[in-house]
Amino acid sequence: MVSRWMYISLVILYGFLLGPFVIIFMASFGANANLAFPPQGFTLDWFANVFETSQFIDSFWISLQLGLSSTIVSLVMGMPVAYALTRFHFAGSGMVETVFSAPILVPGLVIGFAMLNFFVLLGDMQVMTGLFIGHTAILFPYSVRVISASLRNLDPYVEDAAVSLGANRLRGFLLVALPNMQAGLAAAFVLGFITSFNNVPVSLFLSGPGVTTLPVSMLSYLEYYFDPTIAALSTLLVIFTVVLVQTAERVLGLSQFV
Amino acid sequence: MNRRSNQTRTIILLVAPAFVFVLVFFVLPLIFLLSQSVLPEEGGFTLSGYVDFFQSRVSRIVYLRTLKLGLIVTGISVLMSYPAAFVLARMPVRRRSFLMSLVILPLMTNAVARTFAWLIILGRRGLVNQTLMSLDLVENPLRFIFTETAIVLGLTQLFLPLMVLPLVSAMENIPNDVLEAARSLGANRLTTFVRIVVPLSSDGLVLGATLVFTGSVTAFVTPAILGGSRLLLMSTLLRQKAVILFDQHAAAVVAVVMILTTLAVNLLLRVLRVQQV
Repeated sequence: MVSRWMYISLVILYGFLLGPFVIIFMASFGANANLAFPPQGFTLDWFANVFETSQFIDSFWISLQLGLSSTIVSLVMGMPVAYALTRFHFAGSGMVETVFSAPILVPGLVIGFAMLNFFVLLGDMQVMTGLFIGHTAILFPYSVRVISASLRNLDPYVEDAAVSLGANRLRGFLLVALPNMQAGLAAAFVLGFITSFNNVPVSLFLSGPGVTTLPVSMLSYLEYYFDPTIAALSTLLVIFTVVLVQTAERVLGLSQFV
Repeated sequence: MNRRSNQTRTIILLVAPAFVFVLVFFVLPLIFLLSQSVLPEEGGFTLSGYVDFFQSRVSRIVYLRTLKLGLIVTGISVLMSYPAAFVLARMPVRRRSFLMSLVILPLMTNAVARTFAWLIILGRRGLVNQTLMSLDLVENPLRFIFTETAIVLGLTQLFLPLMVLPLVSAMENIPNDVLEAARSLGANRLTTFVRIVVPLSSDGLVLGATLVFTGSVTAFVTPAILGGSRLLLMSTLLRQKAVILFDQHAAAVVAVVMILTTLAVNLLLRVLRVQQV
Protein backbone atom coordinates (compact mmCIF):
# COMPACT_ATOMS: atom_id res chain seq x y z
CA MET A 1 0.00 0.00 0.00
CA VAL A 2 2.92 2.32 0.68
CA SER A 3 4.30 3.33 -2.68
CA ARG A 4 7.54 4.95 -3.76
CA TRP A 5 6.11 8.43 -4.20
CA MET A 6 4.81 8.30 -0.67
CA TYR A 7 8.36 7.76 0.53
CA ILE A 8 9.43 10.72 -1.59
CA SER A 9 6.79 12.84 0.14
CA LEU A 10 8.19 11.70 3.48
CA VAL A 11 11.67 12.86 2.43
CA ILE A 12 10.29 16.23 1.27
CA LEU A 13 8.41 16.66 4.57
CA TYR A 14 11.51 16.00 6.66
CA GLY A 15 13.68 18.13 4.39
CA PHE A 16 11.29 21.03 4.89
CA LEU A 17 10.95 20.49 8.64
CA LEU A 18 14.63 19.96 9.40
CA GLY A 19 16.45 21.69 6.52
CA PRO A 20 16.26 25.13 8.18
CA PHE A 21 18.04 23.71 11.23
CA VAL A 22 20.92 22.51 9.03
CA ILE A 23 21.15 26.01 7.52
CA ILE A 24 21.27 27.69 10.94
CA PHE A 25 23.89 25.20 12.08
CA MET A 26 26.12 25.93 9.07
CA ALA A 27 25.66 29.70 9.30
CA SER A 28 26.67 29.78 12.97
CA PHE A 29 30.20 28.57 12.08
CA GLY A 30 30.65 30.79 8.99
CA ALA A 31 33.26 33.56 9.07
CA ASN A 32 31.31 36.10 6.98
CA ALA A 33 29.28 38.54 9.02
CA ASN A 34 26.72 39.32 6.31
CA LEU A 35 25.20 35.85 6.39
CA ALA A 36 25.96 35.12 2.73
CA PHE A 37 25.22 31.51 1.98
CA PRO A 38 27.07 29.15 1.70
CA PRO A 39 29.27 30.42 4.56
CA GLN A 40 32.98 30.98 3.95
CA GLY A 41 35.63 29.87 6.42
CA PHE A 42 35.18 28.60 9.93
CA THR A 43 35.00 30.48 13.21
CA LEU A 44 33.66 30.10 16.72
CA ASP A 45 33.52 33.90 17.19
CA TRP A 46 29.72 34.01 16.98
CA PHE A 47 29.44 31.58 19.87
CA ALA A 48 31.86 33.70 21.88
CA ASN A 49 29.72 36.72 20.97
CA VAL A 50 26.63 35.03 22.41
CA PHE A 51 28.30 34.66 25.79
CA GLU A 52 29.66 38.20 25.70
CA THR A 53 26.27 39.75 24.94
CA SER A 54 24.88 40.52 28.37
CA GLN A 55 21.29 40.88 27.13
CA PHE A 56 21.31 37.20 26.14
CA ILE A 57 22.87 36.00 29.37
CA ASP A 58 20.54 38.07 31.58
CA SER A 59 17.43 37.08 29.65
CA PHE A 60 18.48 33.42 29.65
CA TRP A 61 18.45 33.41 33.46
CA ILE A 62 15.09 35.15 33.50
CA SER A 63 13.65 32.62 31.05
CA LEU A 64 15.05 29.76 33.10
CA GLN A 65 13.60 31.05 36.39
CA LEU A 66 10.32 31.85 34.73
CA GLY A 67 10.08 28.45 33.02
CA LEU A 68 10.83 26.52 36.21
CA SER A 69 8.61 28.54 38.54
CA SER A 70 5.57 28.80 36.26
CA THR A 71 5.76 25.11 35.30
CA ILE A 72 6.00 23.94 38.91
CA VAL A 73 3.17 26.20 40.08
CA SER A 74 0.90 25.21 37.18
CA LEU A 75 1.58 21.53 37.92
CA VAL A 76 0.97 21.84 41.65
CA MET A 77 -2.25 23.80 41.12
CA GLY A 78 -3.33 21.79 38.07
CA MET A 79 -2.91 18.39 39.71
CA PRO A 80 -5.92 18.68 42.07
CA VAL A 81 -8.03 19.89 39.14
CA ALA A 82 -7.01 16.87 37.06
CA TYR A 83 -7.75 14.64 40.06
CA ALA A 84 -11.25 16.10 40.49
CA LEU A 85 -11.97 15.78 36.75
CA THR A 86 -10.89 12.15 36.52
CA ARG A 87 -12.02 10.72 39.86
CA PHE A 88 -15.40 12.43 40.39
CA HIS A 89 -18.47 12.97 38.26
CA PHE A 90 -19.91 16.35 39.08
CA ALA A 91 -22.18 18.99 37.62
CA GLY A 92 -20.08 21.71 36.02
CA SER A 93 -17.13 19.47 35.18
CA GLY A 94 -17.60 20.37 31.52
CA MET A 95 -17.40 24.06 32.40
CA VAL A 96 -14.26 23.50 34.47
CA GLU A 97 -12.65 21.66 31.55
CA THR A 98 -13.55 24.49 29.16
CA VAL A 99 -12.12 27.16 31.45
CA PHE A 100 -8.85 25.27 31.82
CA SER A 101 -8.45 24.65 28.10
CA ALA A 102 -9.36 28.25 27.16
CA PRO A 103 -5.82 29.69 27.35
CA ILE A 104 -4.93 27.45 24.39
CA LEU A 105 -7.83 28.75 22.28
CA VAL A 106 -7.06 32.45 22.73
CA PRO A 107 -4.16 33.81 20.63
CA GLY A 108 -1.04 34.33 22.77
CA LEU A 109 -0.52 37.90 21.60
CA VAL A 110 -4.09 38.77 22.64
CA ILE A 111 -3.51 37.19 26.07
CA GLY A 112 -0.34 39.23 26.55
CA PHE A 113 -2.02 42.45 25.45
CA ALA A 114 -5.11 41.88 27.63
CA MET A 115 -2.98 40.98 30.66
CA LEU A 116 -0.77 44.04 30.26
CA ASN A 117 -3.77 46.38 30.17
CA PHE A 118 -5.33 44.62 33.14
CA PHE A 119 -2.15 44.67 35.22
CA VAL A 120 -1.73 48.38 34.54
CA LEU A 121 -5.29 48.80 35.84
CA LEU A 122 -4.37 46.88 39.01
CA GLY A 123 -1.54 49.30 39.69
CA ASP A 124 2.16 48.81 40.23
CA MET A 125 3.10 45.25 39.49
CA GLN A 126 6.65 43.99 39.17
CA VAL A 127 7.54 42.94 35.63
CA MET A 128 8.67 39.51 36.84
CA THR A 129 5.38 38.98 38.70
CA GLY A 130 3.41 39.83 35.58
CA LEU A 131 5.48 37.44 33.47
CA PHE A 132 5.10 34.70 36.08
CA ILE A 133 1.29 35.09 36.19
CA GLY A 134 1.02 35.15 32.42
CA HIS A 135 3.15 32.05 31.93
CA THR A 136 1.43 30.11 34.70
CA ALA A 137 -2.00 30.84 33.18
CA ILE A 138 -1.03 29.65 29.70
CA LEU A 139 0.49 26.43 31.10
CA PHE A 140 -2.68 25.22 32.85
CA PRO A 141 -4.15 23.58 29.72
CA TYR A 142 -1.02 21.44 29.32
CA SER A 143 -0.62 20.44 32.95
CA VAL A 144 -4.31 19.63 33.49
CA ARG A 145 -4.51 17.62 30.25
CA VAL A 146 -1.32 15.61 30.67
CA ILE A 147 -1.92 14.82 34.36
CA SER A 148 -5.55 13.88 33.60
CA ALA A 149 -4.27 11.49 30.93
CA SER A 150 -1.90 9.76 33.31
CA LEU A 151 -4.55 9.61 36.06
CA ARG A 152 -6.93 7.97 33.60
CA ASN A 153 -4.34 5.31 32.84
CA LEU A 154 -4.12 4.54 36.53
CA ASP A 155 -6.58 2.01 37.98
CA PRO A 156 -8.65 3.90 40.64
CA TYR A 157 -9.19 0.60 42.48
CA VAL A 158 -5.56 0.66 43.58
CA GLU A 159 -6.24 3.87 45.47
CA ASP A 160 -9.54 2.49 46.74
CA ALA A 161 -7.63 -0.49 48.11
CA ALA A 162 -5.31 1.85 50.01
CA VAL A 163 -8.31 3.75 51.39
CA SER A 164 -10.10 0.59 52.47
CA LEU A 165 -6.93 -0.48 54.25
CA GLY A 166 -7.12 2.67 56.35
CA ALA A 167 -5.37 5.44 54.43
CA ASN A 168 -7.32 8.64 53.86
CA ARG A 169 -7.88 9.95 50.29
CA LEU A 170 -4.90 12.32 50.44
CA ARG A 171 -2.51 9.65 51.68
CA GLY A 172 -3.90 7.23 49.10
CA PHE A 173 -3.14 9.74 46.40
CA LEU A 174 0.29 10.77 47.66
CA LEU A 175 1.58 7.30 48.50
CA VAL A 176 -0.12 5.20 45.83
CA ALA A 177 -1.19 7.27 42.82
CA LEU A 178 1.60 9.84 42.71
CA PRO A 179 4.53 7.41 42.54
CA ASN A 180 2.79 5.72 39.61
CA MET A 181 2.43 8.98 37.71
CA GLN A 182 6.10 9.89 37.49
CA ALA A 183 6.23 9.51 33.73
CA GLY A 184 3.16 11.69 33.15
CA LEU A 185 4.38 14.33 35.57
CA ALA A 186 7.82 14.45 33.98
CA ALA A 187 6.24 14.72 30.52
CA ALA A 188 4.00 17.55 31.73
CA PHE A 189 7.03 19.23 33.25
CA VAL A 190 9.12 19.06 30.07
CA LEU A 191 6.19 20.20 27.92
CA GLY A 192 5.35 23.08 30.27
CA PHE A 193 8.94 24.22 30.63
CA ILE A 194 9.54 24.24 26.88
CA THR A 195 6.27 26.08 26.25
CA SER A 196 7.22 28.79 28.73
CA PHE A 197 10.87 28.92 27.69
CA ASN A 198 9.97 29.46 24.01
CA ASN A 199 7.01 31.76 24.47
CA VAL A 200 7.16 35.06 22.61
CA PRO A 201 3.65 36.53 22.27
CA VAL A 202 2.69 36.60 25.96
CA SER A 203 6.15 37.69 27.12
CA LEU A 204 6.39 40.38 24.47
CA PHE A 205 3.80 42.62 26.12
CA LEU A 206 4.63 41.69 29.71
CA SER A 207 8.38 42.26 29.45
CA GLY A 208 9.69 45.51 30.86
CA PRO A 209 12.86 47.57 30.87
CA GLY A 210 15.74 45.31 31.86
CA VAL A 211 13.48 42.31 32.40
CA THR A 212 13.09 40.38 29.16
CA THR A 213 12.89 36.71 28.26
CA LEU A 214 15.44 35.11 25.96
CA PRO A 215 13.24 34.74 22.83
CA VAL A 216 12.02 38.34 23.17
CA SER A 217 15.57 39.63 23.48
CA MET A 218 16.53 37.58 20.40
CA LEU A 219 13.68 39.23 18.53
CA SER A 220 14.75 42.73 19.54
CA TYR A 221 18.40 41.95 18.72
CA LEU A 222 17.23 41.07 15.19
CA GLU A 223 15.72 44.53 14.79
CA TYR A 224 19.18 46.11 15.06
CA TYR A 225 21.74 43.51 13.99
CA PHE A 226 21.82 41.00 11.18
CA ASP A 227 24.80 38.76 11.87
CA PRO A 228 25.33 35.07 12.70
CA THR A 229 25.18 35.63 16.49
CA ILE A 230 21.50 34.68 16.48
CA ALA A 231 22.38 31.61 14.40
CA ALA A 232 24.97 30.55 17.00
CA LEU A 233 22.51 31.11 19.84
CA SER A 234 19.83 29.20 17.94
CA THR A 235 22.24 26.31 17.42
CA LEU A 236 22.90 26.18 21.16
CA LEU A 237 19.16 26.28 21.89
CA VAL A 238 18.42 23.56 19.33
CA ILE A 239 21.07 21.30 20.90
CA PHE A 240 19.61 22.02 24.34
CA THR A 241 16.11 21.16 23.10
CA VAL A 242 17.17 18.05 21.20
CA VAL A 243 18.84 16.64 24.30
CA LEU A 244 15.81 17.49 26.45
CA VAL A 245 13.20 16.23 23.97
CA GLN A 246 15.06 13.07 22.92
CA THR A 247 15.60 12.13 26.56
CA ALA A 248 11.94 12.79 27.34
CA GLU A 249 10.76 10.90 24.24
CA ARG A 250 13.04 7.92 24.96
CA VAL A 251 11.99 7.73 28.59
CA LEU A 252 8.39 8.95 28.49
CA GLY A 253 7.01 8.99 24.94
CA LEU A 254 6.48 12.73 24.77
CA SER A 255 4.86 12.87 21.31
CA GLN A 256 1.69 11.16 22.56
CA PHE A 257 1.01 14.13 24.85
CA VAL A 258 1.64 17.01 22.43
CA MET B 1 -22.68 15.67 57.07
CA ASN B 2 -23.80 13.32 54.35
CA ARG B 3 -21.48 11.76 51.83
CA ARG B 4 -22.68 13.82 48.91
CA SER B 5 -22.08 17.29 50.34
CA ASN B 6 -18.77 16.02 51.64
CA GLN B 7 -17.79 15.11 48.09
CA THR B 8 -18.93 18.50 46.79
CA ARG B 9 -16.72 20.18 49.37
CA THR B 10 -13.74 18.06 48.31
CA ILE B 11 -14.27 18.94 44.65
CA ILE B 12 -14.50 22.66 45.44
CA LEU B 13 -11.31 22.48 47.50
CA LEU B 14 -9.49 20.69 44.69
CA VAL B 15 -10.60 22.94 41.86
CA ALA B 16 -10.87 26.35 43.56
CA PRO B 17 -7.24 27.55 43.77
CA ALA B 18 -6.41 27.09 40.09
CA PHE B 19 -9.92 28.08 39.03
CA VAL B 20 -9.73 31.40 40.87
CA PHE B 21 -6.27 31.99 39.40
CA VAL B 22 -7.48 31.49 35.83
CA LEU B 23 -10.62 33.52 36.50
CA VAL B 24 -8.77 36.53 37.93
CA PHE B 25 -5.68 36.54 35.73
CA PHE B 26 -7.05 35.20 32.47
CA VAL B 27 -10.83 35.58 32.19
CA LEU B 28 -11.01 39.05 33.81
CA PRO B 29 -8.30 40.56 31.56
CA LEU B 30 -10.22 39.26 28.53
CA ILE B 31 -13.48 40.78 29.78
CA PHE B 32 -11.62 44.04 30.37
CA LEU B 33 -10.24 43.84 26.82
CA LEU B 34 -13.75 43.35 25.45
CA SER B 35 -14.97 46.37 27.40
CA GLN B 36 -12.02 48.44 26.13
CA SER B 37 -13.06 47.72 22.57
CA VAL B 38 -16.57 49.18 23.08
CA LEU B 39 -15.92 51.82 25.76
CA PRO B 40 -13.62 54.54 24.43
CA GLU B 41 -11.69 56.76 26.85
CA GLU B 42 -14.10 59.64 26.22
CA GLY B 43 -16.85 57.53 27.83
CA GLY B 44 -20.09 56.00 26.59
CA PHE B 45 -20.76 52.78 24.74
CA THR B 46 -19.88 52.57 21.05
CA LEU B 47 -19.26 50.07 18.32
CA SER B 48 -17.42 52.69 16.30
CA GLY B 49 -14.10 50.88 16.84
CA TYR B 50 -15.44 47.89 14.90
CA VAL B 51 -17.02 50.09 12.24
CA ASP B 52 -13.70 51.92 11.81
CA PHE B 53 -11.84 48.64 11.60
CA PHE B 54 -13.95 47.25 8.79
CA GLN B 55 -14.21 50.58 6.99
CA SER B 56 -10.49 51.23 7.01
CA ARG B 57 -8.91 50.01 3.79
CA VAL B 58 -5.65 49.12 5.53
CA SER B 59 -7.15 46.95 8.23
CA ARG B 60 -9.52 45.27 5.74
CA ILE B 61 -6.54 44.39 3.55
CA VAL B 62 -4.60 43.13 6.57
CA TYR B 63 -7.53 41.02 7.78
CA LEU B 64 -8.17 39.44 4.37
CA ARG B 65 -4.44 38.88 3.83
CA THR B 66 -4.23 37.11 7.19
CA LEU B 67 -7.13 34.80 6.31
CA LYS B 68 -5.77 34.17 2.81
CA LEU B 69 -2.28 33.24 4.04
CA GLY B 70 -3.85 31.05 6.74
CA LEU B 71 -5.79 29.14 4.09
CA ILE B 72 -2.73 28.76 1.86
CA VAL B 73 -0.59 27.49 4.74
CA THR B 74 -3.32 25.03 5.76
CA GLY B 75 -3.67 23.79 2.17
CA ILE B 76 0.06 23.27 1.70
CA SER B 77 0.29 21.53 5.07
CA VAL B 78 -2.48 19.09 4.12
CA LEU B 79 -0.82 18.25 0.79
CA MET B 80 2.62 17.81 2.34
CA SER B 81 1.47 15.81 5.35
CA TYR B 82 -1.12 13.39 3.98
CA PRO B 83 0.97 10.85 2.09
CA ALA B 84 3.91 11.23 4.49
CA ALA B 85 1.67 10.67 7.52
CA PHE B 86 0.40 7.48 5.90
CA VAL B 87 3.95 6.14 5.52
CA LEU B 88 4.66 7.04 9.15
CA ALA B 89 1.48 5.34 10.39
CA ARG B 90 2.36 2.08 8.60
CA MET B 91 5.91 1.91 10.00
CA PRO B 92 7.19 -0.43 12.67
CA VAL B 93 6.72 1.23 16.07
CA ARG B 94 10.41 1.77 16.89
CA ARG B 95 11.26 3.56 13.67
CA ARG B 96 8.03 5.55 13.83
CA SER B 97 8.65 6.84 17.34
CA PHE B 98 12.12 7.99 16.30
CA LEU B 99 10.75 9.82 13.25
CA MET B 100 7.88 11.30 15.28
CA SER B 101 10.35 12.77 17.73
CA LEU B 102 11.97 14.52 14.76
CA VAL B 103 8.57 15.87 13.71
CA ILE B 104 8.01 17.49 17.09
CA LEU B 105 11.51 18.98 17.15
CA PRO B 106 10.45 22.19 15.35
CA LEU B 107 7.59 22.58 17.85
CA MET B 108 10.09 22.46 20.66
CA THR B 109 12.47 25.18 19.48
CA ASN B 110 11.62 28.83 19.71
CA ALA B 111 10.04 30.59 16.78
CA VAL B 112 12.74 33.27 16.52
CA ALA B 113 15.41 30.61 15.94
CA ARG B 114 13.29 28.79 13.37
CA THR B 115 12.29 31.94 11.51
CA PHE B 116 15.87 33.21 11.43
CA ALA B 117 16.74 30.29 9.15
CA TRP B 118 14.43 31.73 6.50
CA LEU B 119 16.32 35.02 6.59
CA ILE B 120 19.45 33.09 5.67
CA ILE B 121 17.68 31.07 2.99
CA LEU B 122 15.73 33.95 1.42
CA GLY B 123 18.02 36.93 2.13
CA ARG B 124 19.73 39.10 -0.52
CA ARG B 125 22.83 36.90 -0.34
CA GLY B 126 20.87 33.89 0.81
CA LEU B 127 20.81 30.33 -0.41
CA VAL B 128 18.08 30.89 -3.00
CA ASN B 129 19.54 34.07 -4.48
CA GLN B 130 23.09 32.67 -4.62
CA THR B 131 21.81 29.57 -6.38
CA LEU B 132 19.75 31.56 -8.88
CA MET B 133 22.68 33.88 -9.62
CA SER B 134 25.26 31.14 -9.97
CA LEU B 135 22.95 29.45 -12.48
CA ASP B 136 22.69 32.79 -14.31
CA LEU B 137 18.92 32.69 -13.96
CA VAL B 138 18.81 36.20 -12.49
CA GLU B 139 21.33 39.05 -12.58
CA ASN B 140 20.42 40.89 -9.41
CA PRO B 141 19.24 39.28 -6.20
CA LEU B 142 15.46 38.99 -5.91
CA ARG B 143 13.65 40.31 -2.88
CA PHE B 144 12.01 37.50 -0.92
CA ILE B 145 12.02 38.94 2.58
CA PHE B 146 8.90 41.00 3.34
CA THR B 147 6.87 39.03 0.79
CA GLU B 148 3.84 36.81 1.28
CA THR B 149 5.87 33.87 -0.02
CA ALA B 150 8.38 34.25 2.82
CA ILE B 151 5.60 34.39 5.42
CA VAL B 152 3.88 31.33 3.93
CA LEU B 153 7.15 29.33 3.95
CA GLY B 154 7.94 30.31 7.52
CA LEU B 155 4.44 29.58 8.81
CA THR B 156 4.25 26.25 6.99
CA GLN B 157 7.46 25.04 8.59
CA LEU B 158 6.21 26.26 11.96
CA PHE B 159 2.85 24.52 11.85
CA LEU B 160 3.38 21.39 9.72
CA PRO B 161 3.95 19.24 12.83
CA LEU B 162 0.46 20.17 14.06
CA MET B 163 -0.96 18.59 10.90
CA VAL B 164 1.30 15.53 10.88
CA LEU B 165 0.67 14.49 14.51
CA PRO B 166 -3.17 14.21 14.42
CA LEU B 167 -3.07 12.64 10.93
CA VAL B 168 -0.64 9.93 12.03
CA SER B 169 -2.65 9.13 15.13
CA ALA B 170 -5.87 8.94 13.07
CA MET B 171 -4.21 6.69 10.47
CA GLU B 172 -2.69 4.36 13.05
CA ASN B 173 -6.23 3.21 13.83
CA ILE B 174 -7.00 2.09 10.29
CA PRO B 175 -6.69 -1.70 10.34
CA ASN B 176 -4.51 -3.31 7.68
CA ASP B 177 -7.35 -5.72 6.85
CA VAL B 178 -9.49 -2.86 5.55
CA LEU B 179 -6.77 -1.77 3.12
CA GLU B 180 -6.09 -5.33 2.02
CA ALA B 181 -9.80 -5.91 1.49
CA ALA B 182 -10.03 -2.85 -0.75
CA ARG B 183 -6.99 -3.96 -2.74
CA SER B 184 -8.20 -7.54 -3.14
CA LEU B 185 -11.55 -6.26 -4.37
CA GLY B 186 -9.73 -4.53 -7.20
CA ALA B 187 -9.13 -0.98 -6.00
CA ASN B 188 -5.75 0.44 -7.02
CA ARG B 189 -3.52 2.32 -4.60
CA LEU B 190 -4.88 5.75 -5.43
CA THR B 191 -8.52 4.64 -5.15
CA THR B 192 -7.81 2.92 -1.84
CA PHE B 193 -6.11 6.05 -0.55
CA VAL B 194 -8.85 8.43 -1.65
CA ARG B 195 -11.87 6.24 -0.81
CA ILE B 196 -10.64 4.41 2.32
CA VAL B 197 -7.71 6.19 3.96
CA VAL B 198 -8.92 9.77 3.57
CA PRO B 199 -12.47 9.24 4.95
CA LEU B 200 -11.15 7.12 7.82
CA SER B 201 -8.61 9.75 8.83
CA SER B 202 -10.87 12.79 8.37
CA ASP B 203 -11.02 13.36 12.13
CA GLY B 204 -7.28 13.90 12.21
CA LEU B 205 -7.49 16.08 9.11
CA VAL B 206 -10.13 18.37 10.64
CA LEU B 207 -8.23 18.67 13.92
CA GLY B 208 -4.93 19.31 12.13
CA ALA B 209 -6.49 21.90 9.82
CA THR B 210 -8.00 23.74 12.80
CA LEU B 211 -4.66 23.84 14.60
CA VAL B 212 -2.69 24.95 11.53
CA PHE B 213 -5.19 27.60 10.46
CA THR B 214 -5.73 29.17 13.87
CA GLY B 215 -1.98 28.99 14.51
CA SER B 216 -1.21 30.73 11.22
CA VAL B 217 -3.72 33.56 11.58
CA THR B 218 -2.51 34.38 15.10
CA ALA B 219 1.25 33.75 14.85
CA PHE B 220 3.37 36.78 15.67
CA VAL B 221 7.08 36.03 15.32
CA THR B 222 7.05 34.84 11.71
CA PRO B 223 5.11 37.81 10.26
CA ALA B 224 7.12 40.17 12.47
CA ILE B 225 10.45 38.95 11.07
CA LEU B 226 9.48 37.97 7.52
CA GLY B 227 6.77 40.57 6.89
CA GLY B 228 7.74 43.43 9.15
CA SER B 229 5.74 46.64 9.10
CA ARG B 230 5.63 46.57 5.29
CA LEU B 231 3.48 43.46 5.16
CA LEU B 232 1.24 43.48 8.21
CA LEU B 233 -0.88 40.59 9.44
CA MET B 234 -3.45 40.85 12.23
CA SER B 235 -0.91 40.08 14.96
CA THR B 236 1.65 42.61 13.77
CA LEU B 237 -1.16 45.14 13.27
CA LEU B 238 -2.24 44.62 16.90
CA ARG B 239 1.32 45.19 18.08
CA GLN B 240 1.67 48.30 15.91
CA LYS B 241 -1.56 49.86 17.19
CA ALA B 242 -0.74 49.07 20.83
CA VAL B 243 2.97 49.85 21.03
CA ILE B 244 3.76 52.30 18.25
CA LEU B 245 0.49 54.21 17.80
CA PHE B 246 -0.59 53.87 21.46
CA ASP B 247 -4.18 53.47 20.31
CA GLN B 248 -5.39 50.96 22.93
CA HIS B 249 -8.99 51.23 21.77
CA ALA B 250 -8.16 50.25 18.17
CA ALA B 251 -5.73 47.59 19.39
CA ALA B 252 -8.45 46.07 21.56
CA VAL B 253 -10.74 45.91 18.51
CA VAL B 254 -8.05 44.05 16.52
CA ALA B 255 -7.56 41.67 19.46
CA VAL B 256 -11.28 40.92 19.73
CA VAL B 257 -11.55 40.33 15.96
CA MET B 258 -8.65 37.85 16.29
CA ILE B 259 -10.40 36.00 19.14
CA LEU B 260 -13.71 35.88 17.28
CA THR B 261 -11.99 34.59 14.13
CA THR B 262 -10.28 31.71 15.92
CA LEU B 263 -13.45 30.89 17.87
CA ALA B 264 -15.51 30.86 14.67
CA VAL B 265 -13.06 28.48 12.99
CA ASN B 266 -13.03 26.19 16.01
CA LEU B 267 -16.83 26.11 16.13
CA LEU B 268 -17.16 25.57 12.38
CA LEU B 269 -14.78 22.65 12.40
CA ARG B 270 -16.42 21.18 15.49
CA VAL B 271 -19.73 21.20 13.62
CA LEU B 272 -18.05 19.53 10.62
CA ARG B 273 -16.67 16.86 12.89
CA VAL B 274 -20.03 16.10 14.50
CA GLN B 275 -21.67 15.78 11.09
CA GLN B 276 -19.12 13.23 9.93
CA VAL B 277 -19.65 10.93 12.89
